[in-house]
Parts: sequence; structure tokens; C-alpha cells
Amino acid sequence: MKKLIFIFLSVLFVNAGMAQTRVTGTVTASEDGSPIPYTVVLVKGSRGVGTNTDAEGKYSLSNVASDAVLVFSYVGYKTQEIPVSGRSVINVEMVTDALALDEVIVVAYGTSTKGTFTGAASVVKADAIRDVPTLSFENAMGGKIAGLQITTLSGQAGSTSSIRVRGIGSMNASNEPLYVIDGVPVISGNVTQMGIYTSSNVMNTINPNDIESITVLKDAAASALYGSRAANGVIVITTRQGKLGKPVINFKASVGITPSFATDNYEAASTEQQVELYYENFWNAGKLYEGMTDEEASTSALAQLNKRFNKHGYTFSAPDHTVNSLTIGGERAGQYFDWESELFRTAVYQAYDISVSGGTEASNYYTSFSYTNDLGRSVINEYDRITGRMNFGQKIGRFIELNTNINVSTSSQEGFNDTRALGNNYFLQSRNLLWGLYWPTDIATGLPWTARFGSYAYNPLYYNNEWENWSKTQRVFATETVTIKILPGLNLRSIFSFDNTQTFDHLYYSALHFNGSSLIGSVTENSTKINELLSSSTLNYNKTFGGVHNVSALAGWEVGKNNTDYMRSTGTNLATSELHTVATAGKLDANAYFWGNAMVSMLSRAEYNYNNRYYASASFRRDGSSKLGPDSRWGNFWSVAGSWRIDQEGFMDNVPVISSLRLRASYGVNGTLPTSNYGWRSLTSYSSKYMEQPGGGVSNIADPNLSWETSYTSNIALEFGVLEQRLTGSIEYFNRASKNLLQDVPISNVTGFGSTLRNVGEINNRGLEFELFGEIIKSGGFTWTAGLTASHVKSTVTKLYGGKNIIWYEPTGGDDRTKFIYTEGESTLAIYGREWAGVERETGLNLWFLNNDSEPDLSVDGRPATYDYTNATEVILGDAHPKLFGGFNTDLGWKGISLGLNFIYKLGGYTYDAAGKDVNDDGYYWERIMSLDAYENRWTPTNKDAIYPQRVAIDMEDVNQKSSRHMHPADFTRLKSITLGYSLPQTLLSKVKLSGARVYFNGANLWTLAAWKVYDPEVNEYGSRGWEMPIGKTYTFGIEASF
Amino acid sequence: MKKITIILTVLGLMLMTSCEEFLDVKPSNYANPETSIKTATDAKVAINGLMRKMTAADYYGRNFIIYGDAKGGDFAIRSQGRGLDYYYSFNHSASSGSGAGFWNQIYHNILQANNLIVSIQKIEDAGNGSALLSDYKGQAMTARALMYFDLVRLYGKPYNMNKESYGVPLVLELLEFTAQPTRASVEAVYTQILKDLSDAAPFLSKDKAATKGYLNYWANKAIEARVHLFMDNFTASLTAAEEVLNSGKYSLYSNTDWVGSWSTQFGSESIFELAIFPSEADLTTGSLGYYLLRNGKVTGAMGWFMASDYWIDRMSQDPTDIRWGIMERDESSTTRMGSSLKYVGGSAMTGDKASRSAVNVKVIRLSEMYLVAAEAALRLPTPDRVKAADYLNQIRKRAPALTPADETTVTLDMIIDEKSKEFFAEGLRYFDMIRLNRTIEFNDEFISPAVVITHRTKTIDRTFFKTILPISQNELDANPAIASQQNPGY
Repeated sequence: MKKLIFIFLSVLFVNAGMAQTRVTGTVTASEDGSPIPYTVVLVKGSRGVGTNTDAEGKYSLSNVASDAVLVFSYVGYKTQEIPVSGRSVINVEMVTDALALDEVIVVAYGTSTKGTFTGAASVVKADAIRDVPTLSFENAMGGKIAGLQITTLSGQAGSTSSIRVRGIGSMNASNEPLYVIDGVPVISGNVTQMGIYTSSNVMNTINPNDIESITVLKDAAASALYGSRAANGVIVITTRQGKLGKPVINFKASVGITPSFATDNYEAASTEQQVELYYENFWNAGKLYEGMTDEEASTSALAQLNKRFNKHGYTFSAPDHTVNSLTIGGERAGQYFDWESELFRTAVYQAYDISVSGGTEASNYYTSFSYTNDLGRSVINEYDRITGRMNFGQKIGRFIELNTNINVSTSSQEGFNDTRALGNNYFLQSRNLLWGLYWPTDIATGLPWTARFGSYAYNPLYYNNEWENWSKTQRVFATETVTIKILPGLNLRSIFSFDNTQTFDHLYYSALHFNGSSLIGSVTENSTKINELLSSSTLNYNKTFGGVHNVSALAGWEVGKNNTDYMRSTGTNLATSELHTVATAGKLDANAYFWGNAMVSMLSRAEYNYNNRYYASASFRRDGSSKLGPDSRWGNFWSVAGSWRIDQEGFMDNVPVISSLRLRASYGVNGTLPTSNYGWRSLTSYSSKYMEQPGGGVSNIADPNLSWETSYTSNIALEFGVLEQRLTGSIEYFNRASKNLLQDVPISNVTGFGSTLRNVGEINNRGLEFELFGEIIKSGGFTWTAGLTASHVKSTVTKLYGGKNIIWYEPTGGDDRTKFIYTEGESTLAIYGREWAGVERETGLNLWFLNNDSEPDLSVDGRPATYDYTNATEVILGDAHPKLFGGFNTDLGWKGISLGLNFIYKLGGYTYDAAGKDVNDDGYYWERIMSLDAYENRWTPTNKDAIYPQRVAIDMEDVNQKSSRHMHPADFTRLKSITLGYSLPQTLLSKVKLSGARVYFNGANLWTLAAWKVYDPEVNEYGSRGWEMPIGKTYTFGIEASF
Repeated sequence: MKKITIILTVLGLMLMTSCEEFLDVKPSNYANPETSIKTATDAKVAINGLMRKMTAADYYGRNFIIYGDAKGGDFAIRSQGRGLDYYYSFNHSASSGSGAGFWNQIYHNILQANNLIVSIQKIEDAGNGSALLSDYKGQAMTARALMYFDLVRLYGKPYNMNKESYGVPLVLELLEFTAQPTRASVEAVYTQILKDLSDAAPFLSKDKAATKGYLNYWANKAIEARVHLFMDNFTASLTAAEEVLNSGKYSLYSNTDWVGSWSTQFGSESIFELAIFPSEADLTTGSLGYYLLRNGKVTGAMGWFMASDYWIDRMSQDPTDIRWGIMERDESSTTRMGSSLKYVGGSAMTGDKASRSAVNVKVIRLSEMYLVAAEAALRLPTPDRVKAADYLNQIRKRAPALTPADETTVTLDMIIDEKSKEFFAEGLRYFDMIRLNRTIEFNDEFISPAVVITHRTKTIDRTFFKTILPISQNELDANPAIASQQNPGY
């Protein structure tokens, strides 16, 4: 169970004359041994005598009578009365209240308590993510909440994970949930214009240490109040507020290192093996396709090798004309250049945080400052961030309360090209292009090698110095909340927020760089300013009638405007390589424009409960958005929900084993807007200037009647607790039918365009979510707890308007790496392509299942098959959705020592290997490096039971087809994080005037068990793995201290 | 409470009605296509856009030119995998190497032309036409004719081989996004091309100086001459070509000026030249010029394509041929002059406007009209051999050591060979070879060390199904109506 986020009134110190002794101690939570700050400690019977525990759960009471009784209380936990009995140290372990369902959770436009909230919401508290070295909170949430799928997009420093709530509810509009920070819906996602190099997620501007809690709103009842933006769930982030009491200073420092990747990632075969493959490739071509003798084939293969690599200091011979006698000679024989060690390093992550918080009756404050630096594994990848926060609350008189939250952050990121780019993706280069036979210096001249290598890679050690890229992001996010208590039970709350994110991108190529040579150097600077203004006002009313009828109502409106100003200036023909600015350029080119959107909403909600037993709620919101045309821009969104606290019923008194039981259900409608601001408008663009005159043209064919995507969600859940809440859990079923889904649909190119945005169909997501938490052992200061989350989501295309199938490609990387089909009754991630039938045992040729009625060449496993892929028909090959996914967490605690393990798992479904065609080619791209997997499992006359075909140096296209050859089982489990912490004992700390201190070790991604071992199984939301930087094993050491 | 609710509701309703304006957020860099062509100035902007789009990499900016030479036997490659070598090796299928870029780009451009034609027609129908607007309409129609001519040769069988077979979808109006057009016959496409050309001609400017970088009356006639030649309409072809030749607007480069013409824009031979300016359609290291430079000559030059032995042999008939002046040695030896400098502005590599890569593409030159006229004259129902020899000699004299043709010696081979020499790397060769039903031989031995080419034989002719491109898988997927009209063999 979790601890509370709000404070209680503290009780001031009163010097009681009769006191005899001073009592100190630490209050911890029984479930995980973590300290509980702000526990109220009172001396029983002495009115006004008492204190609060500090941030480390420590308290100190002077002048306590030796026979006094101390009362420890904290919301969500059982109040304990403990006699002092003359002791001076009393440590208390707080036990969760059997019915601790009154935990406060932050929900849409207000707060609720866990036991009374009628929607589906899950909460992650700061403690649960505090030890994970992460730039942004998403990375630390994996496996902690059922229904939440966290996918890692890249292992680069500065990249963040993406969150999907309950499957895929949208085809091509965003599946991003809505993020709400301190009551304000905010922008999310990438904010740079740098495309392939640095994708800076704006969520990185929030220091995770400033976060008090994260609530995930999953069903319509929870999220419908956010209307048209909430269909993909809502992530509500609440930042810390100061607590009543003396100033608390917290300091935290951590250093993490990442010496290696978490798993194998297309590990290359050795240089000798590459040479062997190369020889074999041409030898086979000569023998099989040109009728050569062994000698002729060998001569041809050796000629290839010598032509390619003589210039790098190697010669090749094969006296018996077969691969058996192939030897590598030459000046550099026996030495191979280790590109990997030059391009990758041990990543170092450092984070330092300091925060000061405190409060009085009238005001409270929380301030923080942090610095984070992350040197990524790639030698050109670095991330740097400074954040500052000031949250200030002030009461004015009895009726008005003002809260001001200001977050300022600046970050810079120097990136790495994550796409399948031969020229500058170093991960790809190290695995696919940079032979050990290539050297950064030319053996003939001793000068740097500057020409393109035969594999089309450039010498990165030379060119790294000839270009640079970075993005700097600065964000000022200020929120002012005014709460006016108009009448008892009636509040007016207004929020005004100003969110300004500015990004400056810089991309420079010197005149020596291959990208800058024809322009004699080039430099591009982009400036992007995103301004979001939002105002919302809500009137809240709460009243209890007749002691049992609790009523609350909310009504209000919200207006938001988002505007982005973009400016680019490019200079080419640069004066000097010393200066990398547009100012020095001989030729200038510029661009500037702006875009934006606006939204107007009115919203309302009513809640009722009878005697805290029966609950009902309803909400309604009407949204108007500029992203849709005048005829379709207004939408109505609503929800109804109810819950029943079965445990409050009299008949449950006879079932003591059940300590809590609640049933809740909801139904509602919410929506999704198109991602694009102007998707409904047909547009003429003026980007085609000609002969230095303006030039324009039609740039799309739009559907003016484009409308919202609407989701109809029903949700039913049973929450339970047994054995005095030792075992708690919930089981939840949801069904989300989404209609009018938006998709960039491929259209006949004869129209002039390849695709257009349309409402095309309907999707259904339904599933089961299961959460279980148990206190296994709780005795003698030893605690052991474990939690399990499991989710099953079935995501199906239910209807396509017009009944036509839609073939679409994964957008990641921009190279159409995975092909999918939307067809009624099939998965939303149905992988589409030709069905590979493996390799013919006697010839090593590719085989394909026909899947049509044409004349087969042969039969494989009793099914008609062909040698020629063009004869095979494309079919649905599998599903990229897992059958089951979730996490497993366990924590052990003993006397200040804590050990926590967090596993994630995924079962069922397929991953699609988008890089396999590069590292496991059939012979055409002969001067590329092949993986060890390709080397070991290819067909040769001595390995006829091979997985992959024989390599022949002819331009076969089999490997380039979207096919089942590149699909692999997705099952894996991973120790996402392991944390070992030790809180120093109070006795030690008091000597150095510390109120709390803790040291910890965190290991991230240390262990992985995967069904397919060639690449990291933690793939993106489309289930594909390409040339993104893989994630690493990170070892972090940290200390925390409070004064 | 009740009062407050009423107030809120009223306030809310007021908000809702007054905020339509607030919600009408317009883009700052796009206009509404329905209203973007209202005046001649607007139409000029759209014509600019159309010309720019014709310089795209997937069209005249690079690939269409490479296509016309890589497949015609005049180009050779030294190594596979450098880029676009699937043109050379004919490694085409619907799902890989489909060459769909042509289809997509040209239809995108046709949309722009259609939009111009339809928009101007609307203005004219409203009685607000002008000579200038008609000129722009004429330019759009001429461009459309040229684009359909290119498309039908990429995707359809030669007119003189099977004009009843599938050509390409014929689109003359703006289509809805739901459209699934199907293929018209080769003949229907040619008919439309000729109609567009003849409809457009009266509107077009005959002022050469004022139309640099655009289509004018003479370009229209030159295209017509080309089209008729492809239809074996030799009389019509000769008439159109001679109208250009006899106009006196254009003149052939002298032997001393010929090499220098490659470092100048809009020379005296340029009937239609597409302009490529820096930071417009400049493909930098991926430009046509770079594709033809010797491997490693400058950073980024990979030696994609160079002359075949056959072309070098043909040129070697006269070592003093002035056209050697635009050639340079290739990577294979210190003496083999296989690398063309036409698109980098000659050996100084300063282009035609001080940029190595932003170099104009000369789509139609006067020299071609001479050779078109020569061929048409020779192949008239009653051949005019004197004329044929005379026209040929105007170009043939660029090889001063060769004996001029005369009415007894002139042959079609001489004319075709002359075209090969003159228009190396200008994208004409392949289409001529296919039109004339010649056998194309590829210089595969030049690939060093040798590799096996499996997607075609060393020699091909137009009976080989891959001489035309497949409709791409993407088009078949998005447009099932066309699926049954795939080119045979694919």
C-alpha cells in the first residue's frame, strides 16, 4: 500500500514541564520498510503535544513522560498506540489499514480517494521510481501497472520510452496518452526539427524527482472529463508540494555506468568468418551460375577479395581452390581494426538533485534544482540537463488559496542517427558495414582514410570531427491555480498556465564532410517555439445530506491555444572551418512559418454516494477543435459509472477473511483528434520555388468531413483484499470500441498522392488486467512483499468502411520496415507479407509457400510452394501484439536494508526483424558484414539442415521481401531493475546532524531471457527491431541525504 | 447552485457560438487550392511549381535521365550496389526495384498540370480569361503531354509494337482520393498527348528569350516531333521538327562552342531546359552530375555510371570528335574516357552557375530535332534521302574526321549512332532502341571483378518483359482495380 501525498496539520511543540525523557525513532511502512514522512506522533491525552516525522520518517519528542503513550497516525495506515515504557528510541512500523481505500488519488479536475473513485485509475508513487536512473519517469514505469505497455524506442542518451494504455485504440492518429501536469494538459512527444538525429521528448523537461505521484486514468469514467484527447488514457502527473514543518533539505546524487548492451544485438561474425563468407559467395556464384571449375570459381572469388581489400593491406589466397585453404596475407595480416571499441564507450550517467521544502499554516513551498548528464554509449551521443522548480502555495485569508508552480529546464542533446542510414548510423556501421579489414588510416599514405569504403560506410573516426549536431530545449512552464471557497462545500478553481518550449537545433557539416562537400560546408539552425496557453475554471460543490447522501458536482470550461513558431536559417559555402555559424556563410537560405490549434470545452461531472457504500458518477464534456472542419469539429463526450463497497455490507461481517471487496463498472465515450493540425483542409504549398521565383502546387487531397475518432469504453472491475489486506488485488475487464478511426490511407498514386488522412474503420480493444500484491512475510523487522501485474489485450479491426483492406507500413525510421494489413476480424498489428517456407535441404534455395492456386514448383510440409517469391501471394503472417504482458515486483526489507526486483515480461506474438535483411543477406550485398547468426545458420553442403539459404553473389531479392523469414517469437522476460538500498541508522546520523541518509545500488536490464536471442526483445510498439541504438546494462550507485 | 448552473450554461453557450472564429486556425504556409489560382500571377506561381516538380530526382532531375541511358547499352557499371544499378541489371519486380518513383512523381506532376488547366478553364468560363492565362494553360497542357509521353514509354509497350495493349491511366481532371483509375490503351494515351499538344500550341509564346526554363511554342513542336517519331508518323514528325528548325529561333553550337555549352544555361540549342538552382532541386552529392563523375574524383562521387565499351568504340571512329571534350577518364584506367562531365559544367566542374551540382537539365536540344528530322525524312513513305543526309551532317560534323553522309550513304544506323554520341547521358538512347526494335547489348564484362547478372541476359530486345516497368505493389495494394492490368511477366 502506498503512502499519502497530502500533509496533516502539524502540531506545534509545546514544552510540557513534567517531561522526563526524550524519545526518538523512525516510522516505516510495513510493506516495504520505507520511511513514512509526516506521520503524526501525539502524546496520548496531552492535547497539542506531538510532532510530525520528517522526510526520512524520523521524529523526535522531548520531555515525554516515561509512562506516556504515543499515538502514531497516518492516513491509509492503522493508528497505533505504543507505551513509552521508559524507552528513548521507539521505531514504529505502520501497518496498512485493512480498509485503506481512502488513499487520495489525483484524478481529472480534482482528487478522489481510491475507495470511492468509480473509474479505473492506477497510481505510481515517487518512491517506486526514485532509484531508476532515468531522464523521464516513463522509463521507470515498466511492469508496474496492468494495462500499461512501456516500449523503449532507443537506447540513446536523451531518449524516452513511450506509453500505451490498453492497447492500440487508434490507427494513425496518435496512440499517445494525454499527459496532464498539475492539472494542465500539456504537449508531449518530440519537439525538435532534427528528425533523424535528436528526437527530444518534451517530457524530459520534467525532473522525475519532482514528481509526487503519477495517476494513470484508464477507463472512460476516469478520463472522459478530458474528452476528445483522452481515448488513449491519461497520465496525470502531480509535482511535489512543501509540507508543513521545518525546512527539509534533500540531496541526492547518483552515478551510473553502462559498459555494454543488455543483450546481443546482431553480433557480427569474426573478420575471418566474413572473409570466408565473401569467398564462398563468389565461389558459389561461379560454380552454380557460370559453370566454372573450382579453380575458376576460386580465382574469381579471390579477385573480388583482392580488389576490395588489397588497398587496405590484405591479400588472399586459396591454393586448393576451396574455402578450406583460404588464407589472409598482406601487410596487415593478422590485425583487424576494432571499430566497435572506437565507436562505443562505457556510458556514464550522473544526476544530482537538491530540493528544499517546507511550509507553515499559510504557505508552503517546494524548490528543487537538478543537473543530469548522460554520456551515451555512442561516442557522439550526449545529453545534459538542468532543471529548476518552484512550487509555492499561499493562503490568503480563509477563503482564497493561490498555488504557483514554475518549472524551468534547459537541456542539450547531441545525437546519433537512429534510422537505417548507411552514412552515419554507427550502430548499423559497426554491425553491417565497417569491416575489421578497413582501417581509419590509409596504409599507402598514412593519412586518414577519407574515401567511402566499399561497403559505403565512411570512416567515422575522420568524419566525426567534420560535423556536429545538437538540439537545445528550454522550457518554462508556469501554472497558477486559484481556489476560492465561495460557500462551505462550494469552491471555484481556476487554472491559468503558460507553457513555452523553445528548441534550437544545430547541424553543421564542414567542407570536408561528405554531406557538406558539394556545398563547401553547410550549417543549419532551427528555432522552434511552442507556446501553449490554457485556462480552465471549474466550480466544485460537495455536500452531505442526512449523514448518508454524499453529493458532489463540478462544472466548468476550458480554453486552450497552441501555437508553434518555426524558423530555419541555413548557410552554405562557409568562410572558415573554425566558425560553424550561419553568419560566416556565403549563401543563405531561410524558412519561417507557424502552425497551431485551438480548443474550447465545457465540462461537468456529478457524483453521488450513499453512506460510502454505493457510488455513482456521471460526466459530460463538449469539445470544439480547430483540427476538424466546421461541420464536424464539435463533439460530445460522456461517461457513467458506479461502484459498490461490498465489504461495507452487513452480510460481509461473517466473512472475516475478506477485508475489502469492491465492484465497480463504467461506460463512456471519449475521442481522439487527428495529429495533424490541418488534416481536413486541402492545401496548396509554396515550397516548390523555381528559378528563384515562388512556386506552388497542390500538396494533398483532404477529406473535409474528417471527424473525431470516438471510443466507447466499458469497464468492470473487482477489487479485493483478504487476510487483513495482506493480499490485495484487482481483476478488471475492459472493452473499448473505437469508431471513425483516422488513418493515412494509401491511395492510388494516380491521384497525385500516395496517401490521405481518412476516417476508415473501427477497432476493438478488449482485455483483462490483473493486479496482485501480497505481504508474504512481515515479522521481526523482516518484510517480503511481491506484486504481479498481467494484462491481456485483444486488439482487432472490426470494421473497415467500404470493406476494403488497408495495407500500411510502420512509420518508424521512415523505411517502411514492417508491412501490416487492416482487415476485418484480424489484429490491428497483423503482419503482412509472403510466407517463407525455409530452405530446400539439397540446394539451399529459398522456398516460398504459394498461398494461391497457381502451379506449385514443389511441396513443403504438404503445402504448395515455389522457388520464386513473385509467385507467392501475400498473406497475414502473424500478430505483433503479445498475448500477455506485465511485470513482477518483489521487495525485501530488513533493518534499513532493502532489496527490490522489478521484472517485466511479454508472452506471445512476434517481433519483426527489420535489420535482418542487412546482416543476413543472401549474397547480393557482398561487401557488408554478416551476423554470426547468418554465418552459423546458412546453408552449406556440410550444413544442409540450415535455417538460411546458401549465399550466392547474385542479386537475389528474396531477403528483401516482407516475409515470415524475418519474424521471430516475441516472448521474453527481463530484470528491468534491481535495487539494493541501505538506510543508515539514526544513531549514526544524529552524530553528523543528518536526519536521513541512504545509499543504494540500482542495476538496470541486467538479465534477459528471450525466445529469440539475436537482438534485444524489448521492441517498439509495432513489434519491430531495426537499427535503433539498443539499450544497455546500467549499474548505478547513489546516495541520498536529508537535513 | 441552480443559478450558477444557469449562468454557466448561458456563458458556455455564448462561448460555443462566439468561438467558431477562435477555432478557425489557418495554416501560415499553405493556401486553399480552390482559391489559390485566381489570376495570371497565381497561375505563374503554379507553373513555377510544376516546372520545379519536373526537376525532382525521380524525374528529369536524375532518374529518368539515368534510366534512358543505363538500359540502352551506352552506360556500363563498374561495380554493383552503388545505386540505381537495378536499372542496368533489370532487377525489377512489383515489390522490389519497381521504379515506382516515376509513377508517383509523374502523376503528382500531372495533378499539378490538371489543377492549372481546370482552374484556368474556370476563370475563362467566367469570362475573365487573358492571353497570359491561356499561355499558362498551354504550358500546363504541353507539360501534361510530355509527362504522359514519358509515362507511356515507361509502363506501356511501344506504340509500333502493340498499341492496343495497356498504356497508363489517363487522368485529365482532379480526382477524388477514392479514385481507382485503370489503364487506358497505349493508343488512347498517344491520342491524348497529340490532342494536348495541338490544343496548347496556339496559346504558347514564341518568344524564346522570355521563356527560358519554361515550355514555349517551339518546345511544344519539338515534343510533337518526338511523339510522332515514336508513332512512326514520319511525315508529321518531319513537319513538326522542321517548323522548329526553320523558325530560326535556335541555332546549333559550333564545334568550338560545343564543349563550353555545358557550362552555360539556356544556350542557343536549348528548346526546353529545366533549371536547377541551389537550394531548389539541387541534389548535391546525389545529383546527376555526381552520378557520372569518376569514383572518388570529389568527396561523394561514387562512379555510379560510365560509358560502355560499345559507346567508346562508336566515339572512337573519330578521335578528334569534339564531344570527347566533355569526357574524362573513368576509374578503370588512366586512358579510358568513360566519365561524362555534362552535368558538372565540364572539366572545371563549376556547373552552369558556379555550382557543381545545381546544373540545369537540357531536356530538348536543337541537335535532337535535326536527328529526328533526319530519321523522319529517311523513313518517309517516299524517303527524302538528301534531306536526311543533310540534317544528319549538321550534327555529324562534330566528328570532323568522319566523311559526311550523302544521299547514297545515309542510313538509319548512322543517324541512331549519331544520336548516341550526341546525347550520351541525356536519357534518349534506351527509348530509341526499344522503339526501333533493336537488340541492346550490355557491357557486363566491364564489371570488375565479374559478377553474375541474373535478371536479364547479356543482350535483350523489346520482347523481354522487363523492358517496361511493373506497376508497383503499393499501387496494386491501394488500387485493386488496376491489379488485373499488371504488365505481363511481373
